[in-house]
Amino acid sequence: MRNILLLVLSVLVISGCTKHREEVGAVLNVAEVAKIKGMDPALAEDQYSATEVSRVYEGLLQYHMYKRPYTVEPLLAEEMPQISKNGLEFKFKIRKGVMFQDDAAFPNGKGRELKAKDFIYSFKRLADPKVQSTGWWLLEGRIVGLDDWRAAATKSGKADYEAKVAGLEASDDYSLTIKLTKPVPQFLYALTMPYTAAVAQEVVEKYGSDFLNHPVGTGPFVMAVYKPTEVMEYVKNPNYWPATFPTEGAPGDKEAGLLDDAGKRLPLVDRVVVRVLVEDQPRWLHFMQGDIDAVGIPKDNYAQAIGPDGNLTAELKEKKVSLSKDVAMDLTYTAFNMESEEIPQFKNKLVRQALSLAMDERESIHTFYNDMATLSQTPIPPGIPGYDPDFKNIYRTNDIALAKKLLAQAGFADGKGFPTVVYDTLADTTSRQMAEYVTKNLQKIGVQTKVNTNTWPALLEKINHRQVQLWGIAWAADYPDAENFLQLFYGPNAQPGGMNGSYYKNKEFDKLFEKARAMQESPERTKLYRQLAQMVANDCPVVLGVNRIAVSLHQPWIKNWKYMEFMTNAAKYFRVDTDLKKQLRK
Amino acid sequence: MMNYIIRRLLYTIPILIGITLITFFFFNVVGGDPVSIMLGKHANAQMIADMRHEMGFDRPLIWQYFDFLKQIVTFDFGRSYASKQLISKMILDGAPVSLCYTLPAFVIAMLISISLSLLVAFWRGGWFDKITVIICVAGLSVPSLAYILFGQYWFAYKWGMFPISGFQPGFPEMISYIALPVIITVVLSIGGELRFYRTVMLDEIHQDYIRTARSKGLSERVVMFKHVLKNAMIPIITNVVIEIPFLVTGSILLENFFGIPGLGNQIVEAINTSDFPVIKAQTIIFSLLYCVFNLLTDILYSLVDPRVSLK
Repeated sequence: MRNILLLVLSVLVISGCTKHREEVGAVLNVAEVAKIKGMDPALAEDQYSATEVSRVYEGLLQYHMYKRPYTVEPLLAEEMPQISKNGLEFKFKIRKGVMFQDDAAFPNGKGRELKAKDFIYSFKRLADPKVQSTGWWLLEGRIVGLDDWRAAATKSGKADYEAKVAGLEASDDYSLTIKLTKPVPQFLYALTMPYTAAVAQEVVEKYGSDFLNHPVGTGPFVMAVYKPTEVMEYVKNPNYWPATFPTEGAPGDKEAGLLDDAGKRLPLVDRVVVRVLVEDQPRWLHFMQGDIDAVGIPKDNYAQAIGPDGNLTAELKEKKVSLSKDVAMDLTYTAFNMESEEIPQFKNKLVRQALSLAMDERESIHTFYNDMATLSQTPIPPGIPGYDPDFKNIYRTNDIALAKKLLAQAGFADGKGFPTVVYDTLADTTSRQMAEYVTKNLQKIGVQTKVNTNTWPALLEKINHRQVQLWGIAWAADYPDAENFLQLFYGPNAQPGGMNGSYYKNKEFDKLFEKARAMQESPERTKLYRQLAQMVANDCPVVLGVNRIAVSLHQPWIKNWKYMEFMTNAAKYFRVDTDLKKQLRK
Repeated sequence: MMNYIIRRLLYTIPILIGITLITFFFFNVVGGDPVSIMLGKHANAQMIADMRHEMGFDRPLIWQYFDFLKQIVTFDFGRSYASKQLISKMILDGAPVSLCYTLPAFVIAMLISISLSLLVAFWRGGWFDKITVIICVAGLSVPSLAYILFGQYWFAYKWGMFPISGFQPGFPEMISYIALPVIITVVLSIGGELRFYRTVMLDEIHQDYIRTARSKGLSERVVMFKHVLKNAMIPIITNVVIEIPFLVTGSILLENFFGIPGLGNQIVEAINTSDFPVIKAQTIIFSLLYCVFNLLTDILYSLVDPRVSLK
């Protein structure tokens, strides 16, 4: 018996011994930190699914990979659209000769040419209630006739894709006109998102509800292996249209060698291998072993990667790994429920200002973000027009004396008579530690809190049903427009499921917001955005938190790498120095 | 015996109905509304209402319950809210993957712990027994996550004996991927199993018939294997058979850390995203398996112990 056991264990151990598999061609190895929710552009809600969808599918527009501030440029559109003077009509010319990838859904399995009607179909799909797209908000109330088309589909139980929508018109195979119900300058950003990518009707109809497992787009890569909970492999699309590497970038990009491949045909790698690595340790170890080419630094491995001087540790320097630090366009905040029945005191601005003053975000930046975050002065993060680097928010100064004074003015000197506040948070360790930190800060002015932990769905439901009093949350930009952050405080968004979870209602804010969001980018609009941001800073419907700094590492053999907030189809620009990789991995 | 089996199978029907009622109550009545999660951060009241209508959440609860029963009978649990994949396919794909490492680990752990339990029972009170018990208690005191983190870091990353994570279906490709999870599962199981079997063996060893067997001059080998082991089979069978349904569901931690696409991996994802259809389907299937294996335990009792008759 013992011999048999020894034999079994020996076989397990010996067969387990591993060596690096030899890679053929230039392979980009990346990791996703969450499981992919299918390859249907209409369902690409989370960043990870959107990134995977964008390898195969393309839309009319995209962000320029290297220019900053973020600039929109044509992708499947031949050029930027002609926009009517009133901002209501967008005329697109579709690029000719763009082919869908080969698939059994097409005659003889050969992909057909992309036409303007494909975009009309794809936009209708976003509106189709049966598709249950999470991207409908991008088009809702914006395209003439599309809401009515959706309403008819809801009523009849079946969408009629043959029915005309007045706001979507294809005068020929390469001309697309989109008519808006009102001027929406942010509409161009909507057309960069994977949601609005072109899908072929015949592919959708062939695969039905299994369409999400059969990606067929016009993009640079073709799906070769698809295991959404495990691994995905893409190969270079042999019929990809002649897209080329950009010749321009931001100042300093050329000198940094980021434009060395200018003019070359895209994509620059032969294959992309994506591993789904949810847990931090295996993801980090795979990076350290050189199996994956880029990684965000897990909290527990931070000290291993970054030294006390903020630079890479000797171990990583020896591996010639590169470090990238970029301010992310996001905002963390602690929200007050201003319609809370248990804490009606949150209606009082003085109370909110006092609580905001009590929170010491500087210490939290050190403790929870390893100093990789900056204090938010307004809801608009850096890098977006409307951000004001000179504005200092007096309610973010952690002035405890002033906080106590304001609380006393509100009738709660030293917190006496102030009800115990329930602080809702998530159940993970960091969230619980942050909640304890909030408790400690508020105790300084005599306000007592009780921490309540939740799963993410439970917390979201509580917020939607106004069952929260005080809670921590974050917002990541959908597009580089301050409107995306200021909408969190827009009165009509204060509804169950709406983005204004604080139920902040300020008529003056709403009026100015409506005016600003309909304006094209201009100094006047920036001025209005700053005015709105300062109103939020002064009224404190939330305690503003931080803007996080995205810290990531990438291997020395990866070339043309640049941090991008919105770009989901960046893989086509990356080059792998295969000789260097072989040499370093020996 | 046939009558007994049929009767026991019929008994499982009210049990299952009870389980469906509890499951339905928890997820459909008090479990909250998953629509906000499904729609993401840009949901508004109208979109939530539209989605609720599309999903049939605005239908009377009784009809929703009948739909749930129909799903169980047809084994068509619809699609996952989160991944939109067919749940029956997810389960059929995930269960064999979990079994790939849980089954060999289970067999190895069982053989090692039963064999060792015979030895420690034989040398009860001696240094081998004491050391084994100390090791078992020490092993049980360390959390499973520590074994996983340690094993993955040292055996896979530092010493390169195994891949860090991943899974490859097919034999022998899968061996290198499941080897470390199997070893960790065996190590995790042995402490508890061995202590349990040791107690069982010691109970038998002190029985009168063992004393009689020894006084008849039987060898220790015959005493241990023919008498002690055979008479200890009832608790062993109970322990072994009841563990089998857990093999199908896999280990949440191991699968997540080693990237094994089994059912454990699916469960954690489903809980994190309030993917109720997946959780409901897995709960029902697990309950079914539990009932079936319970019945199997009773049948096996009658095979190993002639005193037990099934009426």
